[in-house]
Amino acid sequence: MGFLHRHRGLTPYLLLAPGVVWLGLFFLVPLGFLAYQSLESGSIDFGYAFSWSWGNYWNAIRNYRGHFERSLEYAGIATVLALVVSYPVAYWIAFRGGRWKNLLLLFIVAPFFVTYLIRTLAWQTILADHGLVVRTLHHLHVLGSTGRLLNTATAVVAGITYNFLPFMALPLYVSLEQIDGRLIEAAEDLYASRWKAFLRVTLPLSLPGVVAGTLLTFIPAAGDFINAQLLGSPTNHMIGNVIQSKFLELTDYPAAASMSFVLMAAIIVAVLAYARAVGTEQLTG
Amino acid sequence: MSGVMDLGGRAWALARRNVLAAYSVLFFAYLLLPIAIVIAFSFNNPTGRFNYVWQGFTWNNWRYWDGVPGLRGAIELSLEIAVIASLVATALGTLVALALVRYGFRGRGATNLLIFLPLSTPEIVLGASLLTLFLNANVAFGFWTILIAHIMFCISFAVVTVKARLVGFDRHLEEAAMDLGANEWATFQKVTLPLIAPAILAALLLCFAISIDDFVVTYFNSGTRITFPLFVWGSARIGAPPQINVIGTAIFVVAVGLMVTNVLVQNRRGKRGLV
Amino acid sequence: MRDLEFTRRQLLERAALGGAALTLPGFLAACGGSSKKAASSSHKLAKTLRFSNWTLYMDTNNKTHMHPTLESFSKKYGVHVQYTEDINDNASFFGKIQGPLSRGQSIDRDIIVMTDNSRYPSLLIKKGWVEKLDKSALPNIKNLQPALSHPAWDPHRDYTLPWQSGMTGIAFNDKLTDPVLSIDELFGNRKLKGKVTCLNEMADALSLVMVSNGDDPSKVTNASFNRAITKIKKAVDSGQIRQFTGNDYAAPLAKGDLAAAMSWSGDIAQLLSENSHLHWNLPADGGDIWTDNMLIPKGGNAYTASVYMNYVYDPKIAAQIEGGDPKTGDTGVYYICPVVGAREALLKTNAAIAKNTLIFPTKKMLDNVHVIDPNALNNEKYLTTWQNLISA
Repeated sequence: MGFLHRHRGLTPYLLLAPGVVWLGLFFLVPLGFLAYQSLESGSIDFGYAFSWSWGNYWNAIRNYRGHFERSLEYAGIATVLALVVSYPVAYWIAFRGGRWKNLLLLFIVAPFFVTYLIRTLAWQTILADHGLVVRTLHHLHVLGSTGRLLNTATAVVAGITYNFLPFMALPLYVSLEQIDGRLIEAAEDLYASRWKAFLRVTLPLSLPGVVAGTLLTFIPAAGDFINAQLLGSPTNHMIGNVIQSKFLELTDYPAAASMSFVLMAAIIVAVLAYARAVGTEQLTG
Repeated sequence: MSGVMDLGGRAWALARRNVLAAYSVLFFAYLLLPIAIVIAFSFNNPTGRFNYVWQGFTWNNWRYWDGVPGLRGAIELSLEIAVIASLVATALGTLVALALVRYGFRGRGATNLLIFLPLSTPEIVLGASLLTLFLNANVAFGFWTILIAHIMFCISFAVVTVKARLVGFDRHLEEAAMDLGANEWATFQKVTLPLIAPAILAALLLCFAISIDDFVVTYFNSGTRITFPLFVWGSARIGAPPQINVIGTAIFVVAVGLMVTNVLVQNRRGKRGLV
Repeated sequence: MRDLEFTRRQLLERAALGGAALTLPGFLAACGGSSKKAASSSHKLAKTLRFSNWTLYMDTNNKTHMHPTLESFSKKYGVHVQYTEDINDNASFFGKIQGPLSRGQSIDRDIIVMTDNSRYPSLLIKKGWVEKLDKSALPNIKNLQPALSHPAWDPHRDYTLPWQSGMTGIAFNDKLTDPVLSIDELFGNRKLKGKVTCLNEMADALSLVMVSNGDDPSKVTNASFNRAITKIKKAVDSGQIRQFTGNDYAAPLAKGDLAAAMSWSGDIAQLLSENSHLHWNLPADGGDIWTDNMLIPKGGNAYTASVYMNYVYDPKIAAQIEGGDPKTGDTGVYYICPVVGAREALLKTNAAIAKNTLIFPTKKMLDNVHVIDPNALNNEKYLTTWQNLISA
């Protein structure tokens, strides 16, 4: 410890070093390799060589535009659904949860502790053609008699929504919980309508949670391929499915790598557009 | 007149409160339905190969939980990876969190960004980029590549968890200890560590849960080793055996059990004013 | 019976020839003179045999899920078998192992199984990524069906040995549909919309669709390839095809979520015990035949692997793997056995299996199967087109 006393300025760097080095080596450096690989050309039989093949990016966008669009679309719908579905519950827990708050939160996190794939397989069972849900919908004539849920876009979006729900609900809860109850009371006195008070005060104050939840849901959802694989049909496949098969089945690394970066770029563009819409201060603050 | 208004308002409030409550109950039902299915089918007694249709109750899947060839090895590998990864990631993450909260230094913003970035990168990109690193660096895929990957994506979660606790933490306690003559290390050991211990424990649990559940990054970097989620992936194609549900249920029960205990203990402490 | 044996041989011969032209000159140039070191000549059995196989490709006890022939192998030789069912399709398994193998690293397997209607068995040999069989430990190789003994890509069976053969055709559920006996019916009958699946292995799907188009799958041209792709794509876009699958059509087919599926003979033979309403036929226009081969990846223990191969080429063991044992509740593999004498052994113990035409096909069936043009399997453009089609 004597060393540390003499070099106090070094302490933070020593504390940081192991973690930062790890992330540098195994997060940043790999991204560099991925970028390098995305500009290679060649084939698995003859090997790949670096050649500034910007064409890979062009091909990725040209050939897989539908997949990129579908990924953003499904992820977007799922994010909105997750927001709409979980906001009331986050609100309820934050303001009416009382001493059960923590326990209720635990219920929200609980599905996390069943392996992702097993959860999704359970949805396969629930949405199966002869399952209860489909039969009920047939009875109610919501679904045509030959209609189905499994292996449809609906199932994929439903699966994504479910699987990323806690990412939405928790930040919502955190931001709602921080709102001072007196503020809401004052607003209710002022606006004389609870609904108005909610729209003018509570909702804006919870925006940071909405923003955080949206990002935490949208980003992983846009890159997901498991839901499309297990709950979708080939026409519902997302860009993640293509990247996965290019990497692991076709071993076409340059194409897969360039598609990964296009995916990241697409996500960044979507996030920026969103940021513009809600106001940047919400994102940074 | 105002009395009637008041009554109406109260009725409205009551209804609204109950609507919210009722909705929340529905919400939790939706959230827990798949889990109920998973648990129920862990007791199913399928006559054939497929565990889809309920065919009768049995304890046998639990009694012979490792009765599917390869399952035991997959679970052992997953546990090994999760234990080591969560320990290492939490240690590294706690140090980073301490540095970020306690010290002003050049590069603080960059470090924050470095911590934040992996959290906002799709898993498939994390997995794919590590794959290209290992391929180009001629590293053999297997235990070590999985472990490295898991530590990598756990660190950020650990930092965020511990940081949250450190931020709301009273520095006067430490200063008092230092005033009493304790050196930095002793202060850390005797004062800081016990105070942030719950956060460290939470980070450990979180990392463990994330590691043991990870499919995507592992899928890209496992070579021919098979973790539990990879085993599920493979067996899903031919109808997952009920033992998969047994293990899924067991992980769920242990994790939720730990968390409920944690919540109850904190609640009790809270009542006694110990937080 | 002789007659049957004979045509069966012809059939397998054709299957073996199928792999023939896999020797593209380009390959030869690319991997010129990859010298294959003689397999490690140690004649000591390893403690563990690491065996990667396809799912549901081993005799299995219905109650314990254990594999009786693997257990008896362990007992007999004192070698623990680490048996992993981690091969779901040729492409993704190859994708998994090619990284380490290309860098001379071991993949921790002693035996892997790949299909000759994919490019991979011949590619693995060409690249020098497999060990030679230790024939001194493999006297039973004499029981290999003669028709399968000399595939062009491994003319002397120095590197590979067949595990099973199988046919590709169409299965349907008679409770949900009238018989589905042709690809046109499978892809065109609107009553089946969203209730059928197509295989994700290019060779299987392509050859079936090509014969239905009146094209010859053993001579793929750009035109006939495009015709087949267009046909499949149309069925995908219209929602007729629900999914592309490997073995994973089995569960929904047994459950009744699928009315019909392009599928493999042995799978359906196995599934009949789950759902007696299932039927499997070669399409009227013709089906497809292939052989799965055992290979020893570089770094694997060739001696131990060869001892195991010798064990499964004992007709009695082969019969047990093939047909299981109804008395002890063991399900067999139910594909087409490459071991001479297995059928005779089965006739004594398990006649129903020996007479099952999915497992021991008739002359008529054998006259109606095709082998895909191996050149097509190596065509990068075809492969990419195919992969794009199945991931939509």
